[in-house]
Amino acid sequence: MATGYHRIIMKIVLTGSLFFLGSSSVHAGVLVQCPGDADGSATWTGAEVQPAHTKCMHLGAGDGFVTMADGKLQYVFGFSDLTGIAANTPTGTAEILEAGTTAAGFPAPLIVLDEGDEFYLTLTNIGMSMRPDLFDPHTVHFHGFPQAASIFDGVPDASISINMGSSLTYYFKLNNPGTYMYHCHVEAAEHMQMGMLGSLYVRAAQNGTVFNYNGKDFNKFAYNDGDGSTGYDLEYPIQIGSFDSAFHDANLAVQPLPFATMFDNYSMLNGRGYPDTVNPNPLPPPAENGGKLSQIESTLITASPGESVLLRISNLNVTRMNTLATLGIPMRVIGKDAKQLRGPDGKNLYYKTNSITVGGGESYDVILDIPAGASGKTYFLYTTQLHYLSNDAEQFGGMMTEIRIN
Amino acid sequence: MTTRFNLTMQLSMAIVLALLFQVSPLQARIDGITGTNFTLSVKTGRVFTPDGGSILLWGYADGAGPAQYPGPTLIVNEGDTITITLNNALTVAGANPAPNVSILFPGQRAEASTTDPGVPGILTSEAVPGGSVTYTFIADHPGTYLYYSGTDPALQVEMGLMGAIIVRPSSGAGFAYNHPDTAFDREYLFLLSEMDPRIHEAIEFDGPQSTAVGPYLANPFPVVWFINGRNAPDTLDIPNLPVLPNQPYNSAPMMHPGERVLLRVIGGGRDLHPFHHHGNHSRIIARDGRLLASSPGAGPDLSHEVFTIKSVPGETVDAIFEWTGKGLGWDIYGTPADGPQFVHTCVDGNGDDFDDTTHEYCPDHDKPIPVVLPDNLDLAFGGFYSGSPFLGTLGSLPPGEGGLNPHGGFAYMWHSHTEKELTNFDIFPGGLMTMLIIVPQGASIP
Ligand SMILES: [Cu+2]
Ligand SMILES: [Cu+2]
Repeated sequence: MATGYHRIIMKIVLTGSLFFLGSSSVHAGVLVQCPGDADGSATWTGAEVQPAHTKCMHLGAGDGFVTMADGKLQYVFGFSDLTGIAANTPTGTAEILEAGTTAAGFPAPLIVLDEGDEFYLTLTNIGMSMRPDLFDPHTVHFHGFPQAASIFDGVPDASISINMGSSLTYYFKLNNPGTYMYHCHVEAAEHMQMGMLGSLYVRAAQNGTVFNYNGKDFNKFAYNDGDGSTGYDLEYPIQIGSFDSAFHDANLAVQPLPFATMFDNYSMLNGRGYPDTVNPNPLPPPAENGGKLSQIESTLITASPGESVLLRISNLNVTRMNTLATLGIPMRVIGKDAKQLRGPDGKNLYYKTNSITVGGGESYDVILDIPAGASGKTYFLYTTQLHYLSNDAEQFGGMMTEIRIN
Repeated sequence: MTTRFNLTMQLSMAIVLALLFQVSPLQARIDGITGTNFTLSVKTGRVFTPDGGSILLWGYADGAGPAQYPGPTLIVNEGDTITITLNNALTVAGANPAPNVSILFPGQRAEASTTDPGVPGILTSEAVPGGSVTYTFIADHPGTYLYYSGTDPALQVEMGLMGAIIVRPSSGAGFAYNHPDTAFDREYLFLLSEMDPRIHEAIEFDGPQSTAVGPYLANPFPVVWFINGRNAPDTLDIPNLPVLPNQPYNSAPMMHPGERVLLRVIGGGRDLHPFHHHGNHSRIIARDGRLLASSPGAGPDLSHEVFTIKSVPGETVDAIFEWTGKGLGWDIYGTPADGPQFVHTCVDGNGDDFDDTTHEYCPDHDKPIPVVLPDNLDLAFGGFYSGSPFLGTLGSLPPGEGGLNPHGGFAYMWHSHTEKELTNFDIFPGGLMTMLIIVPQGASIP
């Protein structure tokens, strides 16, 4: 059955791509807006000068394939990183469409910003090479952005979304550090189930100064704490998510989408189920992607004894909440939803726990203080909803990763 | 691709007309019934869903009125002795009699009254079919509470027997609790719930004798989700719609920049719902009717800010939401470069960085929007898009686009971030979702 299915996909890949490329010259509206960047690469090269506190990025929205930990090929919608390709040139549109086709990554490209940055995020709607019947617009919703403006909030009902073949540049001035997330908000139940989800965090302006906390000097902090209590040595984004393969298969096969019966059977961290989570390398690209990598993010956590590890945990599961737990190292919870856990008059609301329960759209900042004598040990970060420790029918997998101590 | 229901098309023009012409009273208030003596009756009704379907309801009614989903919001004052008489007027299909019914009041020291005509049940005193029960409690703590059936609650709450209680503090109606830091300008209720229609169908056809109900109750699988008893987009329609006779409450939050809006969020069903409010963080000041205070009188010093309120079954959360657009880096009212109609001042007389009237953030005054928006041909438009990125401005949109935002407000989706719950019976969009509309100063709010 797997082989037959495979063949069908290959057929759709071929016919779909041809159809798409033949009809892609819609408005030719690919345009990157990035101060100081002349060629639309969203980077500064040659004579181009990067203005202070300015960051740019170019995301493509399209489709592609990923591989589940049990080997299942899974059709996804997703974002690709097109930064570095000169988009605003005579050949730019063609190059962007070429690079963005069947290039969806899962999770979406990691976005790391600094407090004080002005962030110009261009989204180009590449289109769905496997679903040439679809003309879905897309957006980027910067989930949790404080004091948001509706025009850049990425909710299609509330403002604008971008059509196939065109680009929309979002602008965000980053005044608040913390752990956010991002996703497409168009037909959210579908596009998010299909994989248009990513991690996004903003580093604190306090970074670079030194605070001594609990006898240890830190120069990196989750928040502008003023006392070093959110200091860390290493940081890891951990995005909780899960897929309903029946929904993805129905989408690929152009079948009615089963919203009501949506029931996820692949539980993941950063787009992979265990043991793929601990593979430090990008997963091999599915042949259906034409060699493009789609799962570059590892969730293997490595640290040395005595180090403080900041886990930036977010949940973009669209069907359920999830509980994540550690074994052997307590979690020190210092932030939630991109806010330091601190009361209005300065009382710390930090707490220690062995598990956090994270609903969709919530984030937590958790610090693991690795014990001095932990050298050579392996700890686990896993869901205590034990039935989600599986990759569909395959047991001992799913929402779990390892914390390996050097 | 989903079934292409357009939110715009689903919404009736009634909303637009209501937004345009309704004259603003003092403050938006939560709909409900007030007093110290309430008579509620359990009756059947129909919950109508936006796809045109309907679901059998067992609801609490305000006396002789129709069954309601949720039950009437009881708005009472701190210190009052509250008496609630519950009549069991429930009728059911099948040979078995209607069940007893009752009410639990979590967070209150409720008791059956000394003259209670009810019969003892497992959790509380119950009303037999055709009979009554009387409860009494002293509303000794301000806050947001839930009430629901204490008789076979797994079935009866699913069937619709739940509602909200608001206890207003002695400080006055503009406060959530007896502390100045709990003052608010507007308040909205978000009573979140879900239904598994299989259970309702089995009860409708076979009554309480149904043997199908047990397995469904043991493993419920809801496919419709509600705010204040309605599914989106009906959440956004006006209250007391004749076509929704058993769902009188809406959920259509509106505010002006700079206002403090109290969110009373209640987990009224059995599932966790991550309630994500776009636009800004809110500050959670209380849970289950208790201020997050380190000591009496300290105020909400243990409060914290979130962008998603984790609403869990049976819990209530009070949160304060504010929005000004502070620090966006561009002038949300436009600049002279955008046209002569955008010329405006930012007058900060009191030195708080905000215009004294509009609450514009003055350090961003006259800063142009830093990017060029794409051509209309390259865009898809939402029904709540005003056609302009600027607050209070109506831009030109292609025919048939926009139209739900007559004041040129900023619109923000407030919804369950379990996005599966943004559907009604397999159709997206819908479910546990509404929109906050922030309108400029001077625009009236119903
Ligand atoms: Cu999308
Ligand atoms: Cu979101």
